[in-house]
Amino acid sequence: MKLTSESKILLAIVGITILVIAIAAVVLTKPAPTLTKADLVTKTAYTRGNPQAKAYLVEFSDFQCPACLAMKPTVDAVVKANENKLLFVYRNFPLDQHPFSHQSASAAEAAGRQGKYWEMYDLLFANQDKFSDALFPQLADQLKLDKTKFTVDMNDPAIANKIQDDITAGNQFGVDATPTFFLNGKKLTINSYDDLKTAVAQAVNQ
Amino acid sequence: MKSDNRLALLNRVIFILSLAGILMAAYVLQGWLRHSSILCLTGGGCTLVQKNHLSYPFGIPVPSIGLVGYTILTILAFLRTTSNNKNLLKGILGMATFGICFVTWFTYTEIFLIKGICMWCAISAVNMFVIFGLTIASLRLQKNTV
Repeated sequence: MKLTSESKILLAIVGITILVIAIAAVVLTKPAPTLTKADLVTKTAYTRGNPQAKAYLVEFSDFQCPACLAMKPTVDAVVKANENKLLFVYRNFPLDQHPFSHQSASAAEAAGRQGKYWEMYDLLFANQDKFSDALFPQLADQLKLDKTKFTVDMNDPAIANKIQDDITAGNQFGVDATPTFFLNGKKLTINSYDDLKTAVAQAVNQ
Repeated sequence: MKSDNRLALLNRVIFILSLAGILMAAYVLQGWLRHSSILCLTGGGCTLVQKNHLSYPFGIPVPSIGLVGYTILTILAFLRTTSNNKNLLKGILGMATFGICFVTWFTYTEIFLIKGICMWCAISAVNMFVIFGLTIASLRLQKNTV
C-alpha cells in the first residue's frame, strides 16, 4: 500500500483523535467525589420519610421528563417501604427542551407554600401528557388551593431562584440526565427499576 | 486538477464524519454495555431508548451496528487515498445507503414506538445523511472527471 500525502493527513487526524480520547478518558474516569448531606439536602427542599434517617435518597428530576414518570412508581414504592429508615428529597432539574418543565416545577413549589407539595407532585406526574398553561390552575383547584395565591407564587422570583439554585447544584454535582439519584451522597447508576430498590435496601440495612 | 482537489476534500470530510460517527457509537455503546449514564440533552430520551427492546434488533445493540458501519466507511475513505480504484466510492455509497435506511428506520422507531429521542442517535442520523450527500456529490464529480 502506497501512502499519499492525503493518507498521511488522515492518519494524523486519527492520531490526534486517539490522543484527545486518551486525555478525555483519563479526565473523565476520575471517581466522582462523595457529596455531603448538606450539599444535597438543602433546608428548603421538600422531603418525605424520616428526617432523622441515616440513609438519604436525593432525586434530581423534571416533572415533564418521561423517564422520571416511568421511575416514579418505583420511587414511591421505595419511599413507602422504607419510610422510617429513609429520607427522600426531591430537587428540581427542569430541562430546557421540555416547554412546561419550569412551569410545572413552579407549580409544585407554589403548592408547597400551601402545604400540598407532594399532592401536586403526584398530580403533575399523573397529568404529564396534558401540560398546558391552563392545566396548572386546574390542578390547584383540584387540590383546593387558594388559586390567587397559587398564581402569584408560581410567578414569584423567589421560587424561580430556588429552582435555579437546584439546577446550578445539579450541574455542579454532575447531573447530566433526569432522573439522577444520589444515595448517601453517591451518584447511583440505575440500569433497571430493581437497581434502585436494591441500592436503597442495602443502604437502609447498613 | 481542481476536481481532484475537490474529490480529495470531500473524501477527507467523509473520513472525518465517519470517524466522528465511530466516536459517538463507541461512547453510546460503552454506556449501554456498562449500564452507565451517558450525556443526554434530550431529557430521559437516551435512557428510554437504551432500555427498550426495539433498540436491540436481533439482540444486537443499535450503537454496535453504527460502530461497524462507520468503521467500514472510515476504512473505505482511507483506502481511497491510497488507490484510484473507483469501486471504493461505490462501496462508500452502498454503506451510506444502508446507513440512511437504518437511521431512518431507527428514528421512526424512536419517535413513534419508543416515544423517546436519543440525542446521539439523532446526531448520528444527521451525520449519516450528510455522508450520503457528500458521497453522491463525490460520485457526480468523479463522473465529470472521467
